[in-house]
Amino acid sequence: MRLTRTRQMLTAALAVSALTLGACGAGGEDATVDSDSNGTETNNGEVSDASVSIGMFAVPANLDFTTTGGAAIFEALLYNVYEGLVRIDAEGEIQPLLAESWEISDDGLEYTFNLREGVTFHDGTTFDAEIVKFSLERLDEWSANTPEQLAAVESVEIVDDHEVTVVLSEPDYDALFWLAGPLGAMFSPESIDDLATDANGTGPFEFVTYENAVRMELSRYDDYWGDPAGVAEVELVYYQDASAAANAVRTGGVDAILRSEAYDQLESFEADDSIDVQVGTTQGVVVMAMNDEHEALADPEVRRAIQHAIDKESVLAAATGGYGEILGGPSVPTDPYFIDFSDTYEYDPATAEQMLASAGVEDISLSFNVPNRAYAEASAQVIQDNLAEIGIDVTLDTQEFPAVWVEETMVNQDYDLSVVNHVEPRNMANYANPEYYWGYDSAETQDLFTEAAAATDDQEYVAAMEEVTERIVNDSPGVWLYNPPNVVLSTAGISGLPINDLGVGIDLSDVTVSQ
Amino acid sequence: MLLNVIRRLGIFALTVLVASVLVFFLLGVLPGDPARAQLGLQASEEQVQALREQLGVDRPLPVRYLEWVTGFFTGDMGTSYATRSPVGPQVLDALQVSLLLVTGGIVVAVLIALPLGILAAVRHHRPDGMVFSAISQLGISVPNFLAGLLLIAVFAVTLSWLPSGGWAPPNSGIDFFRHLALPALALGLVNGAILARYIRAAVLEVMREDFMRTARAKGLKPGAALLRHGLRNALVPVVTVTSIEFANLIIGAVVIETVFVIPGLGSNLIRAVANRDLVMIQSIVMCVVILVLAVNLLVDLVRPLIDPRLRISS
Repeated sequence: MRLTRTRQMLTAALAVSALTLGACGAGGEDATVDSDSNGTETNNGEVSDASVSIGMFAVPANLDFTTTGGAAIFEALLYNVYEGLVRIDAEGEIQPLLAESWEISDDGLEYTFNLREGVTFHDGTTFDAEIVKFSLERLDEWSANTPEQLAAVESVEIVDDHEVTVVLSEPDYDALFWLAGPLGAMFSPESIDDLATDANGTGPFEFVTYENAVRMELSRYDDYWGDPAGVAEVELVYYQDASAAANAVRTGGVDAILRSEAYDQLESFEADDSIDVQVGTTQGVVVMAMNDEHEALADPEVRRAIQHAIDKESVLAAATGGYGEILGGPSVPTDPYFIDFSDTYEYDPATAEQMLASAGVEDISLSFNVPNRAYAEASAQVIQDNLAEIGIDVTLDTQEFPAVWVEETMVNQDYDLSVVNHVEPRNMANYANPEYYWGYDSAETQDLFTEAAAATDDQEYVAAMEEVTERIVNDSPGVWLYNPPNVVLSTAGISGLPINDLGVGIDLSDVTVSQ
Repeated sequence: MLLNVIRRLGIFALTVLVASVLVFFLLGVLPGDPARAQLGLQASEEQVQALREQLGVDRPLPVRYLEWVTGFFTGDMGTSYATRSPVGPQVLDALQVSLLLVTGGIVVAVLIALPLGILAAVRHHRPDGMVFSAISQLGISVPNFLAGLLLIAVFAVTLSWLPSGGWAPPNSGIDFFRHLALPALALGLVNGAILARYIRAAVLEVMREDFMRTARAKGLKPGAALLRHGLRNALVPVVTVTSIEFANLIIGAVVIETVFVIPGLGSNLIRAVANRDLVMIQSIVMCVVILVLAVNLLVDLVRPLIDPRLRISS
């Protein structure tokens, strides 16, 4: 058995990163990185002609993540085919990519980037300041993947061929973070018409082919500006069924699987010497929302009582077989402002009952909209039992996910309780949006978010975000259940797979195969 | 005879037309917004509305129906909301895969059903005949996805003889058969068991016929009598049932394709439904409907060739 608990390593890394955070954002000089190292983890020079096939679950509908929602497309293409000015590394820190360094003006409104020279797109187009201007000003035309997160970007000014200034209309401390994700991807103007069917970027891999929902093929880009990719070919194989993928890695159909949900089989994989099981983190927050349109749920004391009534250990055991991290708040361990709230509302039905009694509400019956996903159904059943113990009657209503659930629960907000895994990174900002289906409307919270955005250094930002998190946890608009694990299964000889899912691209350039 | 063919073709065309109306309008009331499905959970209402207009899904259903149905029958099935490429080639690719899978399933079913059904009939009074009956009864009660999972567990995971899933096109030779074997078996086993019961009943019935006694009386051994006179007569109900089974196999293929990760009509359909890719769903369902109707038509036309008695009545 070879089981790596990257979570522990991650915690250590986080502690270190909290100390060194100043290096990655605020101080431009500090962010300058020696161009030999490129600021990335290298694959130790192990470059081979090997090919590797990796099983995945989120199926790209096409290749255009500017007009198609969901993480499936950009997680396959970003950092592999497409690159942006900056990237997020395995520990969740911002690192240089196509920008060698950057400086942020004191008022937080101007970000000046020094661009890497000698970078070309796979079709031969040269990457320069014009490309940056074109790509970032094109965000207006995006219809998916939340272009409004970079709404503060007002203009992009070209200083010279290799220097640009991104001008914001208001300070937004998260701007660099969003630039490191899909919104920051650099596009060649010539390829813009074929985004749905072809991908032309500056990354370590060239896009070769995508057989819709079956497989995607990438091959090493020989003129890449940085360290060459560790393998010559990558094949991403798409599965709808966790067991089918698990069988494939067992029988050699694929070399590895990312984000496996075959939790019932993990024990047997751990006992199998030929398969490595590694458990990392994701950006997911599985949260049970409580709609305050319901009379009883409008009372914060009732919501806190429900917090105490839910046994998160049992929820986790039912949903993921115990893999993953129990939460108590809306942030995840890789967030720089993460606070562990798992003990804030301890599981204690007696306290919960008392709190309900003192709130003076009786005979609560709630409808629970459950997305038809295994984790959600398992979680909802545990919660239904938990709430029955304190006299709350819960009726489960399973809804097809995403189509029906989104319509009924998110858009129409026709629910009392609902549970879903919010996979997008830093989705806490939705607590500042009273229109969001969580229905959480607190002027103080909204002010704190504005304050955090206006921060000019990490300390200020983290402090404000910690405060906002504490406030949200106290107001309890939802019950934050757990952070799902990223279970990576791989056959012997495969190394360098990204273990933590940072909600951006899945960087495959460090993957190597030893014979 | 010719009149019969024309009449059948007319019924076929009419049924296809009615089916197209049903398919379109039933899917029209499917809950869930196609535009929202493409843009994801985080999209704003404005973004969703803009895409609705772009896709044309905000227009009245009859207008969209006419556009789709004229397109469908002139070979232009439209552009998929999800993949952004023409629906036609995608459906044809998937159809080819599904047809190969279903054909494999039918071959397996017939290979199992013929011997099993005939033996169960011929030896129906004896213990071994009852065992054959029991086997087919057991086969009927196993859902085909379970058969698929069991086959994978045994032949792919434990024995490592065959791949656990995936697909290889026919021009890849032996690899094609390695990938086809388990799913065709999973699909064919259950339907073979069902078919075996019909064959058993048909053969039993034929064995009681006067002409069989006459055949025996003129000196033919039981086996020879059955082969020369019995089987052809037993074939008529069996062919009819096989055509009905064909529809079953296509539906079964939807599940089997998911279990074995095969890029056929079924897995495309499931994904299209999840994406609310309406033009794709409509075109796939319509293709399946036409396929099933066409097989039924073919069987109606072929039956008189097998059994001359049907020529007179038609």
